[in-house]
Amino acid sequence: MTDVIDEELLIDAKNICMRFRLPTERIDNVKEFFIKLVKGRLKYTDFDVLKGVDLQVKKGESLGLIGRNGAGKSTLLRILAGIIEPTSGTVVTRGNMVPLLKLGAGFDMDATGKENIFLNGAMLGYTRKEMLKKYDGIVEFSELGKFMETPLKNYSQGMLSRLGFSIAVDVHPDILLIDEILAVGDAPFQKKCAQKLDELKAGGTTFIVVSHSNAQIRRLCTKAIYLKDGLIVDSGDADAVVRHYEKDCT
Amino acid sequence: MQKKIKANPISARKVAVILWSLVKKNTKNQYRRSFLGILWTVLNPLLNMFVMAFVFSRIFGRSGIGMDYPVYVLSGNIVFGFMRTATVTAMPSLVGNYDLITKTRTPYAVFPLSNVFTALVNFGFSLIALIVVMIVRIPAGVRFHWSGMMIFLPWLPSVFLFSAGLALLLSAVYVRFRDLKHIYNVLLTLWMYLTPIFYSVETLHLPEKYSLVMKLNPMYHYLKYFRDAISGIVPSWRETLICYAAGIVVFGIGLLVFRILKKKLVFYI
Repeated sequence: MTDVIDEELLIDAKNICMRFRLPTERIDNVKEFFIKLVKGRLKYTDFDVLKGVDLQVKKGESLGLIGRNGAGKSTLLRILAGIIEPTSGTVVTRGNMVPLLKLGAGFDMDATGKENIFLNGAMLGYTRKEMLKKYDGIVEFSELGKFMETPLKNYSQGMLSRLGFSIAVDVHPDILLIDEILAVGDAPFQKKCAQKLDELKAGGTTFIVVSHSNAQIRRLCTKAIYLKDGLIVDSGDADAVVRHYEKDCT
Repeated sequence: MQKKIKANPISARKVAVILWSLVKKNTKNQYRRSFLGILWTVLNPLLNMFVMAFVFSRIFGRSGIGMDYPVYVLSGNIVFGFMRTATVTAMPSLVGNYDLITKTRTPYAVFPLSNVFTALVNFGFSLIALIVVMIVRIPAGVRFHWSGMMIFLPWLPSVFLFSAGLALLLSAVYVRFRDLKHIYNVLLTLWMYLTPIFYSVETLHLPEKYSLVMKLNPMYHYLKYFRDAISGIVPSWRETLICYAAGIVVFGIGLLVFRILKKKLVFYI
């Protein structure tokens, strides 16, 4: 890139299109594949999830993505995270970005809580030494100190989420991409999570949030985008966009 | 189509950290909850060797091999075993790490490669078994020198590349075609019998054209090089060249196929 990029621009996505090519029938063995190929029956249906989305996020801003199920929110988030490539369009991002699309992705159920903290940290690019410094803080936040030597398969769903969340928020990224994982655990723990997120926000972290909780969007985001069938219906001030969406839903 | 700019490149350091932790996890998980733990990596090839030596020593071990039979079997077995473990465990690695691939930004290749590295760790432990057997067999005429253990080191990257190339290829194709597991298992059995692990091509007295075909098998050369090296014979340039040519070609093909299939991979997992 030789263009001069605006220093304040963290994410610049232009004309993002995403087309999923779905085989009409699922073929996962060689025999079927060749039979269908010879017969000329490899049929696909094209499915446009995103049809040209532009968005920009500046430093200090936080963006909420709202819309009904299947509007393309999660796909957009995964494109911004660089997990999947868009069919066409460009994405430029700056700064250290951490995608939090699923709590505890890559947890090893046979390993203990302690081992998993280090494993999960490694997935985010932290060495054992660096994680040792964070370890106490993570355990304390998760309130799972007693269970650090227990294999994860004996954890409850709530405990797993708590551990995942505790590891995730302990990294201090410039951009945090969040997909519906804000409310975990019981009420006191949820309150703690909310406080932690506020703390991160105050510290200058940019959030990009997919959520069906309008209150959460209002609380965390300055701007919002309302997606419908892969197109932006409304964008701008979070409060106004959420109100628009609420009106459409009733 | 517009040019895409790679956002936020993943640093080499991050890749190394992920790879290292995956290898550690794999190695630990192999023998988790087993009483003898990591000792199994040494015991396994040893016990296998006993079985093979017991079954085949009367048939193939008589003469003409020019090497102590238990050492011959064990050395062949651990080299073939490295390739087998690496490829068999790597094949389902992309599918198995579904979560990490669809939810985090991790370069896909680390998953199959971590399995190849894990197999390499196991190979290292198997070497202990080999050394033990060689020392025990000294009264039977085995010559053991530490230098012999060093001669094979230049060979190691070539067999690693060979296995890694196959691992990349298999793991990427497996995402689309799950029958590969069954096909590959059968092929692997055939491959094992066509590789001189418990017999030697020379003592089979095959017609010239058949023994030439046997020598087209890269594993033949990897085993030959390794056995020569541990016997203290410095392998010829020609053998070295064959090992590296096979390794580089297979790795190249594997990497190419992996890169082509990688783009669409996330939709089929």
